[in-house]
Amino acid sequence: MRRLALLASAAVIYLLAAWMVAPGFYDGFTPQQPYNWVCPPPQAGSNLAPNSGHQVIKVVGGISDANSAFTNPDIQVVLGFNFGVFDSAGKTQITVDIKPVSPCPKPTGITFATNTYNITADAPLVKKASLVMRFSDLIPAPSTVYYATSPDGPWTSIGALSQAQPFTIDTTIDKFGYYAAGYPSSAVSRTNPGSSQILPIAIAVLIIAVIVAGFPLAIIRRRRAPDAGDEDDSEP
Amino acid sequence: MLSVLAARPGVRAAVIASYILLVEWARALGSTAPHAAAAALVLGGLALVLTGAGWPAGRLGLGRSHLGFRILGGLALAAVLLLPAAARASPAPILPAFLALPAVVVSIGEEIAFRGALYAALEDLGGAPVAIIGSTALWTAAHALSHPPEFLFAVAAAGLLLALWRWACKDLVGPIVGHVIADIAL
Repeated sequence: MRRLALLASAAVIYLLAAWMVAPGFYDGFTPQQPYNWVCPPPQAGSNLAPNSGHQVIKVVGGISDANSAFTNPDIQVVLGFNFGVFDSAGKTQITVDIKPVSPCPKPTGITFATNTYNITADAPLVKKASLVMRFSDLIPAPSTVYYATSPDGPWTSIGALSQAQPFTIDTTIDKFGYYAAGYPSSAVSRTNPGSSQILPIAIAVLIIAVIVAGFPLAIIRRRRAPDAGDEDDSEP
Repeated sequence: MLSVLAARPGVRAAVIASYILLVEWARALGSTAPHAAAAALVLGGLALVLTGAGWPAGRLGLGRSHLGFRILGGLALAAVLLLPAAARASPAPILPAFLALPAVVVSIGEEIAFRGALYAALEDLGGAPVAIIGSTALWTAAHALSHPPEFLFAVAAAGLLLALWRWACKDLVGPIVGHVIADIAL
């Protein structure tokens, strides 16, 4: 009974803790790998050209399949399509392309924190698709995703979902065109690029210190009360 | 060398903990190299699986007895792990197919390392409380380089839940199943 209560308590603690952060934290499938820029910022150092993405989605029984399209292999843009999100009338497959835009659009009043990508498909959307854009940890995080029908604009903010994986910004789209993540140029940066590098190491050092100090205390306490927890030592 | 490890639980636990931390941090740093994420996950996962070598399956929490219940428990754990993400209205991105295998490998590797070998070594050292707290603390530290600080409390809570399952049910199959499903789904 005590074990069940402890397990239930741990589950509740986990649910509360996980609710406070974005889903997808588990094994870090959004590693802080270098961002591939079309127009790298000065602090970017060496840079690789960003990749394009191409996906062919099957249409079965008049309904487009669930699938995802992403820039491969840098995975800086991921599009998620559920079943039937395309107007697939008369089609047996639908092609989706994601291409980084060069030269970089520089609209007045907006600072882009990612490359601009031209997302096209040979069928329009009839339902919303998810769009995930990765951004660099070297620059201030974007606050919204911008959309335009032309790289020259006008650019419209389509917002962002409140929760996202680390160093990604999520939104939903209902049409294809040009997309980039950024923030109004007048906005104040909400992240300190340097802190994301130093804080994890500092926390790791603190945790190791707790381990080093905590183990002897736990062992001493156990030796003082040898009967406590004996039931837990047996193996099945 | 091996006889020293076998005779001294403290040394054995320290060696295993250091090895796991080294592998996990190397995996985190290695994945920052261009296009190395999948390879780092697979190699890191395989390196973690090695920590289970030399341990009887029962000491790691592995076994065929009550296998159905163990798997069922894993599904329940996966449900708890995924509940916060599932409760959100936003559509989650689909994990690219080429990351599915690395996700499975690293999930199994981490469970064998943290809730298997490390847990057993710490249990020999100081009993279940040390095993639960120690494996959770090292699990959190191991993820400090790959996750922003604000995520570490959730990582620790997940580690505590899985370690308590390992203790309460003396089972590692459930955590493996739950971890694999959670990683693939997210």
